Amino acid sequence: MESRLLRVDLTTGKMRSEVIPHSVFERWIGGSGINNWIMWEHFLTHDINCDPRGPDNIFVFGVGPLAGTGAGSGIKGRITFKSPCYNMFGDSAGGGKFPYMLRFTAFEYIAITGKSPKPVYLHICNDEVSLVDASHLWGRDTLETHTMLREELGTYPSHAHTLSISQAGENQVGIASVVSDALRIHARCGGGAVMGSKNLKAIAVQGNGGLKIQMPEEMLAWSDDFRQKIDENEAVYGFKRRGTLGAVEMYQHIGSHFWRNNQGNMFRGGEITSDNWVKKYHKYSEVCSSDCFIACDAKYKIDGTESEASKKYIGETFRRPEYLTTGSAAGALDVRDWSEVAHWGKITNDYGIDNQDLSCAISFLMELKQRDLISDRDVAELFDREQSLRWGNMDDIEFCVESIVFQKNLFGKIFGDGPYLGAIKYSELKGQNFMKYATYGKGGASFTEEMRPFPTWMNNMAVASRGADHLKGIGLIEKFQRKDLSKIYFDGRTEAADLSVPTLKGASTALIENQVALLNSYGVCLFHWMLDPAGYTPQDYYGKAYAAATGIDRTPDELMLDGARICNLEKAFNSRIGMRREHDTVCERWMWEPTDEGMYPGSVAAEMFNPVLDEYYEWRGWDKDSGLQTRKSLEDVGLEDVADVLENEGSLA
Amino acid sequence: MITVHANFHSHFKELASTGEASFQIENPTVEALAQCICDTYGPKMEAMLIDPDTRELNERGTMFVDARGMRVSMSDALNDGDTITFLVGIAGG
Repeated sequence: MESRLLRVDLTTGKMRSEVIPHSVFERWIGGSGINNWIMWEHFLTHDINCDPRGPDNIFVFGVGPLAGTGAGSGIKGRITFKSPCYNMFGDSAGGGKFPYMLRFTAFEYIAITGKSPKPVYLHICNDEVSLVDASHLWGRDTLETHTMLREELGTYPSHAHTLSISQAGENQVGIASVVSDALRIHARCGGGAVMGSKNLKAIAVQGNGGLKIQMPEEMLAWSDDFRQKIDENEAVYGFKRRGTLGAVEMYQHIGSHFWRNNQGNMFRGGEITSDNWVKKYHKYSEVCSSDCFIACDAKYKIDGTESEASKKYIGETFRRPEYLTTGSAAGALDVRDWSEVAHWGKITNDYGIDNQDLSCAISFLMELKQRDLISDRDVAELFDREQSLRWGNMDDIEFCVESIVFQKNLFGKIFGDGPYLGAIKYSELKGQNFMKYATYGKGGASFTEEMRPFPTWMNNMAVASRGADHLKGIGLIEKFQRKDLSKIYFDGRTEAADLSVPTLKGASTALIENQVALLNSYGVCLFHWMLDPAGYTPQDYYGKAYAAATGIDRTPDELMLDGARICNLEKAFNSRIGMRREHDTVCERWMWEPTDEGMYPGSVAAEMFNPVLDEYYEWRGWDKDSGLQTRKSLEDVGLEDVADVLENEGSLA
Repeated sequence: MITVHANFHSHFKELASTGEASFQIENPTVEALAQCICDTYGPKMEAMLIDPDTRELNERGTMFVDARGMRVSMSDALNDGDTITFLVGIAGG
């Protein structure tokens, strides 16, 4: 197994192709694992404390070895960089056809450094690469950019597939995202600002090459078996019908939404609290990538008869909202009309901006207004005009979005890096401490689900390498109370599935972080695993597909060690920039303010926070006092070289 | 004989064509309720509810909880008037 990396220096315009040898796959699996390694090596020769918006930052795109092989497990590409909004390790996954198409060119990984003197896009056409003037695309949103590039580049050797930024990225808004084919968003951590800071408007790929699969017969056999598992699973069929919106009713039942800046945890209103509306307005089923046996995606088209509000959006068509799009609109912002929720999904995608941090920035301010902590005059000062800031008012919300995207006013400038830094800056501006109303975890990243009753989820928010996030350590054993899984992974013990005790919650985070690191490195979708038709074991069942694709045949234990190695490198990155135990924390509201509705009232993070965090460090072999890695913990996963770097810089326990 | 209420959500609601139903069961256990639901709504519901290998409640992609939000298992006892809620287990996205 080997692959090719395209290195692009935007300052000089020089580009070169490098071979990624088999040994790198042996150590880093592929996908996010290799992205991490490319970034780690870059920052051995560049200042890791550089300005993330400066030319020394690196922007890496990579796609794992299972993507596009016909395995049927979906395709996710990954961008990796130092985050401009959290100032730490940053990465984000995205689906669509861009990562698939990249594999049909000569390259599977792209590493971009420097800064172009003028706006450009990178065009990769099989093995030909060029930097093209993008002045005609500058100032366009992601849909316009994608449409224009498609038209401009024609259909040979294939249609063009794109990664692009909108005006938010151009303006280097910290929470700006990168959008694939104008449909699928690499939302988190501010990759759009990194591209914008480099004057890189887009990457367009066209290819008609093939993929090399080391053991094609074994891959076909695995794929057939996987399809059968998917087809036989009724729960997967249910997921095809609703996608992640199947979570709406479950969350409504147990109290796991994030309502009005997490003042509550249940949606209000009628239709929006059930998933009936998903089916009612669902128009076309779709696959996200070309290699998915599930096809949970779908499109809507608004005809204006659905509700009074929908008349504003007649003809609008886009992807059906995912759960977190719904959670951020119907939850954080209390939008109660489905067409407005769908519209929120479309504008945040077209503007390429993370709806988690964005909704929490807006809802933070709405709560200050609700509590009369700020006056109409204060609001006018922020927006250069009167603004009601009423919960659920889509016109107000849309103006807030545009304020940030276009950096229109003081609000846009203060909250462009999300709710945490926004709250700090606004508190300083007004001479008052508003931090108890800001919702965030590690790095200041925000997330619109109720987490207080769920200690594993809360721990994930405190330790995730890219800042508060559910996708690094997904607490499914706990949230779904999966005693069967707890028994499998913890020698017959069931506490990992028991919400009432801290035991095995930190262990669950570590275990699932390792599994997710593997899946992200294979380049597949997490939902195939999360639905569990194959036994929840990326190190075992998926490991066989990985072996067929790469020829690298590992035992499940060896693969789990690979996952741990990948997680440890992300941790080491953050240790190098000074992150310690005190950074592994969550906001005041989550820590101390009890939930007062849902099935688990009275929950606060503080109840179990420290025992869970201690246990997480223990399972990782890290020092509990400082939160730093020990030499032994790194040597155990084959990272002696990383331990040397950390030791030289005083970042090893 | 006791009466137990079932709330169906998402895919369960679609399979049952209703959001709620009540069942009279002789044996006051979750197992008896699950059997009654399977008998009423047929093989697709059974595929959601029962793990074919273990004949336990299917935990993959599902969530069956009592009134306190605690997941139930086959051997759990039920009382007259109890409600069990049938949910899909999915998160995030």
